[in-house]
Amino acid sequence: MNNHRFSRRTFLRGLGVTMALPWLESLNVWGDEARGSEPSSEAPVRLAVLFAGNGFHSKEWWARGEGRQMELGRVLAPLNDFREKMVFVRGLYNEQALKGNIHSSQTGNLLSGAALASGGEIRSGTSIDQLLAQQYGTSTKVPSLVLGCEKSNPAVHKNYSMLYSSHISWSSPTTPTPLEIYPALAFDRLFKDEVQRGDRSVLDAVLGDAQDLRRRISSADQQKLDEYLHSVREVEQRIVRAGQKGELQGWRPTLALPNIPRPPDGIPQDIGEHMRLMSDILVLGFQTDTTRITTLKLNNDHSSLRFPNLGVDYMIHHLLSHSDSDDWLKVNQFFMEQVAYIARKMDAIQEGSRTLLDNSMLLFCSSMMTGNHNADQLPVLLLGGGGGRIQGGRVLDYSGKPDRQMCRLYLSMMDKMNVRPGKFGDATSALALV
Amino acid sequence: MILFTAPTCFTLLLLGFAFPLPAQAQQQTHEETVAFSSQILPLVTEYCGSCHSTEKQKGDLDLERFASLEAVRRHPKIWQSVAAQLKDNEMPPKDKPQLSPSDKARLSEWVTSLLDGLARERAGDPGPVVLRRLSNAEYTATIQDLTGVSSLDPAREFPIDGAAGEGFMNTGQALVMSPALVTKYLDAGKAIASHAVLLPDGIRFSAGTTRRDWTDEILLQIRAIYREFADPLQGEKVNLQGLIFSHDEGGSLPLERYFVATLADRGALHTEVKDAKALAHEHGLNEKYLSTLMAMLRSEQSSPLLQEMHTRWHLAETGDAAEITREIARWQKVLWKFNRVGQLGKLGGPYSWMEPLVPLAARQELELKIPAVPAGQDATLYLVASNGGDGNENDLAVWERPRLVVDGKPDIMLRDVVVRSQLPEAGSIPLVFGSTSEGVPIAPESIAIHAPSVLAIRVPAEIAAGRKLVVTGMLQSGPSQEGSVQFQLLTTPPDGRALKGLSPTGPVIVHDGTTARGRFEKTFDEFRQLFPAALCYTKIVPVDEVVTLTLFHREDDHFTRLMLDDTQKGKLDRLWDELRYVSQDALARVDAYAQLMEYATQDADPKVFEPLREPIRTRAAAFREQLVATESSHLKGVLEFAGRAYRRPLQEAEAKELHVLYQRLREQELSHEDSIRLLLARIFVSPAFLYRAEIPGPGEKQAPINDWELASRLSYFLWSSSPDVRLREAAAAGTLHLPDTLNAEMRRMLADPRARRLAVEFACQWLHIRDFDALDEKSERHFPDFAALRGDMYEEAIRFFTDLFQRDGSIFEILDADHAFVNGALAKHYGIPAQGEEWRRVDGLRQFSRGGVLGQAALLAKQSGASRSSPILRGNWVAEVLLGDKLPRPPKDVPPLPEEEGTENLTVRQLTEKHSSDPRCAGCHMRIDAFGFALENFDAIGRRRERDNGGRLINNRSTHMDGTELEDIGGLREYLLTKRRDDFLRQFCRKLLGYALGRGVQLSDEPLLSQMQTDLRAKEYRVGAAIEAIVQSRQFLDIRGKQLAYEASSSE
Repeated sequence: MNNHRFSRRTFLRGLGVTMALPWLESLNVWGDEARGSEPSSEAPVRLAVLFAGNGFHSKEWWARGEGRQMELGRVLAPLNDFREKMVFVRGLYNEQALKGNIHSSQTGNLLSGAALASGGEIRSGTSIDQLLAQQYGTSTKVPSLVLGCEKSNPAVHKNYSMLYSSHISWSSPTTPTPLEIYPALAFDRLFKDEVQRGDRSVLDAVLGDAQDLRRRISSADQQKLDEYLHSVREVEQRIVRAGQKGELQGWRPTLALPNIPRPPDGIPQDIGEHMRLMSDILVLGFQTDTTRITTLKLNNDHSSLRFPNLGVDYMIHHLLSHSDSDDWLKVNQFFMEQVAYIARKMDAIQEGSRTLLDNSMLLFCSSMMTGNHNADQLPVLLLGGGGGRIQGGRVLDYSGKPDRQMCRLYLSMMDKMNVRPGKFGDATSALALV
Repeated sequence: MILFTAPTCFTLLLLGFAFPLPAQAQQQTHEETVAFSSQILPLVTEYCGSCHSTEKQKGDLDLERFASLEAVRRHPKIWQSVAAQLKDNEMPPKDKPQLSPSDKARLSEWVTSLLDGLARERAGDPGPVVLRRLSNAEYTATIQDLTGVSSLDPAREFPIDGAAGEGFMNTGQALVMSPALVTKYLDAGKAIASHAVLLPDGIRFSAGTTRRDWTDEILLQIRAIYREFADPLQGEKVNLQGLIFSHDEGGSLPLERYFVATLADRGALHTEVKDAKALAHEHGLNEKYLSTLMAMLRSEQSSPLLQEMHTRWHLAETGDAAEITREIARWQKVLWKFNRVGQLGKLGGPYSWMEPLVPLAARQELELKIPAVPAGQDATLYLVASNGGDGNENDLAVWERPRLVVDGKPDIMLRDVVVRSQLPEAGSIPLVFGSTSEGVPIAPESIAIHAPSVLAIRVPAEIAAGRKLVVTGMLQSGPSQEGSVQFQLLTTPPDGRALKGLSPTGPVIVHDGTTARGRFEKTFDEFRQLFPAALCYTKIVPVDEVVTLTLFHREDDHFTRLMLDDTQKGKLDRLWDELRYVSQDALARVDAYAQLMEYATQDADPKVFEPLREPIRTRAAAFREQLVATESSHLKGVLEFAGRAYRRPLQEAEAKELHVLYQRLREQELSHEDSIRLLLARIFVSPAFLYRAEIPGPGEKQAPINDWELASRLSYFLWSSSPDVRLREAAAAGTLHLPDTLNAEMRRMLADPRARRLAVEFACQWLHIRDFDALDEKSERHFPDFAALRGDMYEEAIRFFTDLFQRDGSIFEILDADHAFVNGALAKHYGIPAQGEEWRRVDGLRQFSRGGVLGQAALLAKQSGASRSSPILRGNWVAEVLLGDKLPRPPKDVPPLPEEEGTENLTVRQLTEKHSSDPRCAGCHMRIDAFGFALENFDAIGRRRERDNGGRLINNRSTHMDGTELEDIGGLREYLLTKRRDDFLRQFCRKLLGYALGRGVQLSDEPLLSQMQTDLRAKEYRVGAAIEAIVQSRQFLDIRGKQLAYEASSSE
């Protein structure tokens, strides 16, 4: 166990939000003021990727100025409180996303910058969240959580599988990561720990089957079967880890067990309620350090959600996006309220001297600027301090500049998590300003 | 190598071999090479090269790299799109230099012929088919078929599968796996395994998951067998401590129906023209019992009672069945009694539910209340002695000490008051007391008289008042003790017949130990055997006592003896074994007994339960032994199940591994039952179950898949599920791949109800209405009824296609059927005269603008907005989905379309036209809008309308870009059936092939697509012709070699 130094204030504040925790026993001196924490006791950096489909109101997505003086377009009004913890990024784009000019062709590669296969084939690239899950997420019980609030639409549209519209997370170039849209099951994924006797033996046995089968099939099929092998192995790993609870290194989360009940089964009728529950789970996953990477797709690209809760039910999201109506603005703001909700929750959780929001990167983006499929610059927001490494209250404008790849932003973000692949998608260097 | 005899296959086989696979693809001739370099390459360079150069790669297309014909041949997909661009006049762009007509023709011809050649060379290539996980739909159907439990829906909360290839969800690329999904499969596998019922001889699956469910299920089955031949018995109600029980609920013989049947055809029965089988079939009766009954009715009976029924039947009129039945019922009442099942086995308790009664006695006490009569008159009473139906010999009856009795006063002997008596025939005679007619002395107050006889006595009113007649009836002992007599006291004179027969009104008086008694016992017994009061105890679970130790009571010996043949009896016995085994009642009784003893000691004498102690203990011990002894049969059941789940014979190593895993689980202190369930879960999670793996041959050469793999391809194509027993048999016999067998199986499967899954997974998915019942895109404000109707709309489409497949109908019915399937709600929605709520096919619907998919609400609603119709969506759907037109992608910065119908001054059509007149949009809209306008008479949820929401008249006329005038759905239909007939045909074939193969259609499939179209034309466009062409194709029968499996050789 490392020696932790906690300020009395931290301790008291922590107590306010949560229950008594085992790590408190390691506090050696009451009232000891912080002398700068040792690296190992620092909270880890968390990544949340939030996505909304179909872009935004063409006139109301903007920000200018700095810090407290920053002015925001009306779409962003709900984020007013977080201007100082926010970086508004303009002008980034994905070269590959310009090719198809249809929803799916510019969404399936949003987080990878990869080329998308057309003609009923399915190939993209490993997305930033899943790459981090594989390299950074292995120290938590759940490497990453991939959530959604809208069922995907199984079809092939204009020569591109709609899988691209509904999946921004990719575990491998050929494996879109399935989304969990049931709040209760997402909650279970984080916290259901009852390992039943015999489970491991069963998993061992089917792994054996898969290895036998693997020898006899073609290399392409082997690749497909590897999805299965890796998945079974990860489940096995989790079972092993569940038996070694409390062995986390150094830092301890402020919450050991969920402080909200398991959501009811099924999908809430009300979309606002659905998004709220998913947001709560996202925050809870971070707060308990059950996972450090979560992707939440608030809706699909090409979304068919309606918003009776806002009095906008005469048109689905996708068709609304082709206009600049007041209702479209209203719907945009509704999405931003979800982002603000998450930011607010995270900012209320104190982890040492910083808040959970300070320790996180909350990337919000869409795959087109407006509903007109224009992907030559993407709407991008970055909230949170990345563990003190990102300075908020800024507007970064890359439009018209060279090397404005979205993937450069991803390299920057990975850097904050000490993952430095050197090259990602179509980028080889991080954005210096981020 | 397989030998094919059908001509179709022969042709395909030739194709497969005449043109070697890509790896050995024939080299282009010298002339071709020269022609390419000299005539084609310059054209490509001049007219395409400026944009599609290696440097510029506009649209991601580099044509500069194709410097040689060989390079061209390696990338047919690119050249397919070049051909399409040329054909549609999309390239070169209008603002760039154009090819001269002759150059264009030369280039087009060259590309076409190049592609044709390549297609022929590579025809029959199985193509790159990525390893397929079972889709959620396939997984669900497979689980349902394997377990026989159709209520299982294990993938309910799984992530939605994606679509790939030709847009279907059975394509490997789109079927992914993740840790979260593995967990879901494991949980689902365990949940399915919890439905397994362990039986004495194996494993079965049930809709329920508790012992109680399984027990109830078996009970239902047993009762169903009982109910088939026995009627519910109207039992007397018993009130036990406030609980009302039906005392003797059981299965009665539905005798009346048997008599109705036999009386109706009495003549035929006599001459034996008609046998029991035919009659039983005709009247829905049990053949076995009917023949037994008929045997009795056909011949004279030695038993007096049966002979009486025999005679009764022969004298009866057709309508007398009820009367005969009532007569039998009167006898049943005296020959049987019902006990409380809850009392069985107790000290002094009964031994069976239904107990025979023997109405025989040596003497009988009789009593009759004398009816009140006016003063001054006499009351008349009749003392009847009948002969018991066996003649009058030795039947000397004694009326012992008949007397008039009232409380509080001395008895008055009949002898002292009688005025006179009379025999009905003989007139009035004085009564003789004290001796027989032969002068043998008897008690002085008694009368002796030969039966049959009736004594009528008159009692003056003043004596009769309040009194009753009391007398003892007996037989006079004489030289022979073999007499028999029956006594009755009546207030009205009996009819003459009653004096000679045997009557159910009271016991027969015989001397003990006599032959006469034995004879009566026998006659009663014979009657009971043929006419038991109840056939069986259908209640099974007794609730006639508040406290009982009997959980299940089986009493059905009459039922099995009279009604069942050996097979049926075997089935019933097995169900009873299962009931005992599954319910574990032997163990439950041990606990119940212990509890009862505790309870009984507080309240009552526990001794009455003592006789049950030992039997309960022994049965429990035996049951425990049985449990251990049957463990191996469950393991055997698991192995058998694994083979079915893996869709091939289980390999020896796999069987061994399952045994080992079982042992390992037992060592982890899991119970036998839990271990068996976990083994099943393991099967449901294994790759052999979840994936449709096919083992390729070595090298690059394609080779036939084996018959097991073929069985799976066939069953997942047509049923989205694993092969059934017939397919497995054909696979095991190695005959499935024979063209005739394959065809026969395919035809059988297409006609099967499971073809519904083809309707959902292929047809509905193709038309973009799959899962329409969950469509949540309609405004509740505008269409409050939609949510309640969407399930019916979806069902209509599913039924339409299921019917089409099962009937092997023409694929053009999809466009021009004159029928639809509707229920009450949908008929109302469509404005079709309704005739009830149930689903039915209705013909003659074109007059209502329905019939075919264009008039189906699901389609019309799916291709609409949330609140208004959308000619663009509908038109686009007709073009892309129905016709396979390739439309350009929408331009950037699509100008917006207004929202709500009726809120603007323009109609939806006018709005659309305004939008489409934008030159950026016109190129596309001129190809689709006219189709949509023709369907404007349908609103956003598919209702027929003449005016839109704003009250404006609908204009359903338009001109398509090819000049065709379209008006309304009829005009569109006509256009599709004539001008675009071949396009629709080709599109259908393409989609069906893509679905069948689980991959995108590629150039080398072109010959097969042509073949399908040719076959359809030759066979009245019956869908089966297209399916047949597919299942007999090399694509369907072969797999690429291991080395080539996924090389995108022939399709880029």
